[in-house]
Amino acid sequence: MLELRDLSVHYGAVRALEGVSLQAAPGGITAILGANGAGKSSLMRAISGIAPVVAGQVLLDGQDIIALPPPARARLGVAHAMEGRRLFRQLTVEDNLRLAWSFGARREKLAASLAEVYARFPILETKARTAAGLLSGGQQQMLILSCTTIRNPRFLLLDEPSLGLAPIIVQQIYGFITDYAAKSGIVVIIAEQMAALALKVSRQGMVLRRGRVVLAGAGEELLRGRDGTTLAASYL
Amino acid sequence: MDDFFFSLLLAGISVGAVYALIALGLNLTFWTTKTLNFGQGSLMMLCAMLTVIIFSQGLAITLAVVGSLVVVAALGMFIERWTVRPALKSSGGSMGWVVSTLGFGIFLQGMAAKYFGSQAVAFPDVVFTAQDFVTVFGQYISLQYLVVLAVAVALILAFELFIRRTVWGQAVHAVSLDPELALVQGIPVRRLILGSFMLSSVLAGVAGVLIAQIGGTVDPAFGFDLVLLGFVAAVLGGMGSSLGALAGGLLVGVISKLVGGYVSTAAEHGIAFALLMLALAVRPQGLFGRPEVSKA
Repeated sequence: MLELRDLSVHYGAVRALEGVSLQAAPGGITAILGANGAGKSSLMRAISGIAPVVAGQVLLDGQDIIALPPPARARLGVAHAMEGRRLFRQLTVEDNLRLAWSFGARREKLAASLAEVYARFPILETKARTAAGLLSGGQQQMLILSCTTIRNPRFLLLDEPSLGLAPIIVQQIYGFITDYAAKSGIVVIIAEQMAALALKVSRQGMVLRRGRVVLAGAGEELLRGRDGTTLAASYL
Repeated sequence: MDDFFFSLLLAGISVGAVYALIALGLNLTFWTTKTLNFGQGSLMMLCAMLTVIIFSQGLAITLAVVGSLVVVAALGMFIERWTVRPALKSSGGSMGWVVSTLGFGIFLQGMAAKYFGSQAVAFPDVVFTAQDFVTVFGQYISLQYLVVLAVAVALILAFELFIRRTVWGQAVHAVSLDPELALVQGIPVRRLILGSFMLSSVLAGVAGVLIAQIGGTVDPAFGFDLVLLGFVAAVLGGMGSSLGALAGGLLVGVISKLVGGYVSTAAEHGIAFALLMLALAVRPQGLFGRPEVSKA
């Protein structure tokens, strides 16, 4: 269980998040929706420990982790795929995976973990010795997802996994995320601008606007709305 | 081959390998924090000085060297914690660390002058004396130079293996590329930075002992020029490149010895900085500096 209580994040005078609360239970996807600058990334960065939290709590299975530095949180099972396709671009695909595995939960041997990744995304095996920065956008996203899942996380945070990708690749990526969430039974949180896409696979959703929650509810409910206009209205 | 030329060449290669060692130490903290520890010079001096003092108390020379290295390693951690970290925190991204590390180095130098005296003291012969040599094809080769060369090269190789083949070496590389991503992936960046200053100081300490062995004496001002020469080697080879550090070190070592031998010993250090200016004008990324690999 991941829980946020009255979380506020300020960057100097800029208030990125104001009193946001959220409960995300294992075994389902939570969608964080909102326009650019609504606070989606700040919410995720607050969970993984790289945003300046000024008030509130972040609880993992009831334990408040607000005082813990990012590596300690990662050790508790938080895996964060940051926005902007962050990878060690000069390192090879396999080095990226090995590094992620080395500092993860290591539930399986490296060889077995790598085999699993390569079975899922064969292109990564073909490109194993290529610098990650030279992959295509879709391949990079596959590598990022693999780097987070190879760590055997308990709380998976995915920031805009569909950004800038072709629709066919987006489908593939979302297929993987849905499968992984169902199979692993962990907490998965996705920040996404394409609301319909994320809500379709999510158990619950939340819409942020200027750092505040303007709408929250079950995924299905948010997608349809009472009269089909609720979701659209919350963006305006 | 001319005897004189040959002996200069060997001396140049030996001290060049030591410069490379210093350059590697500078590279290491550059990778983890984008800072250089300009207090390295004083750490080199202190390590050599302490070795002399501990040895003079009647302890074995190896024990004296190891003990001094431990002290220097601890000072490296102190430097990170109290000179580099506050400078980076208070002035995000600016160059305060240049002054703070250099200042700490000058402080150490002053303390050494106060408590050990500013006179040069003789450095003991660790393995061979300055008079020991072997003859190969009629050339006299100083064993001391050979030992210094061997130790420096062995350390450079060990360092490279550590960086390339171990998880922690990879983690250092990762931190240099994207510290925030490294944090989020669970790499203990704080401890890695502390470790990098410790290891970098140990490399400087070893370099100090090696140079003192060749020069035969050590005094509190010792090391100041040396860290600058190591810096020149690092920039010449390409800041952050290990191969560059080796090439830069050898280049600086050989050229400065040849100029010292054939032109004037007064020009020995000056020529290194002339090289630096030339390199910055012609090839600012250094011999082995690489442009970033990236797409989109």
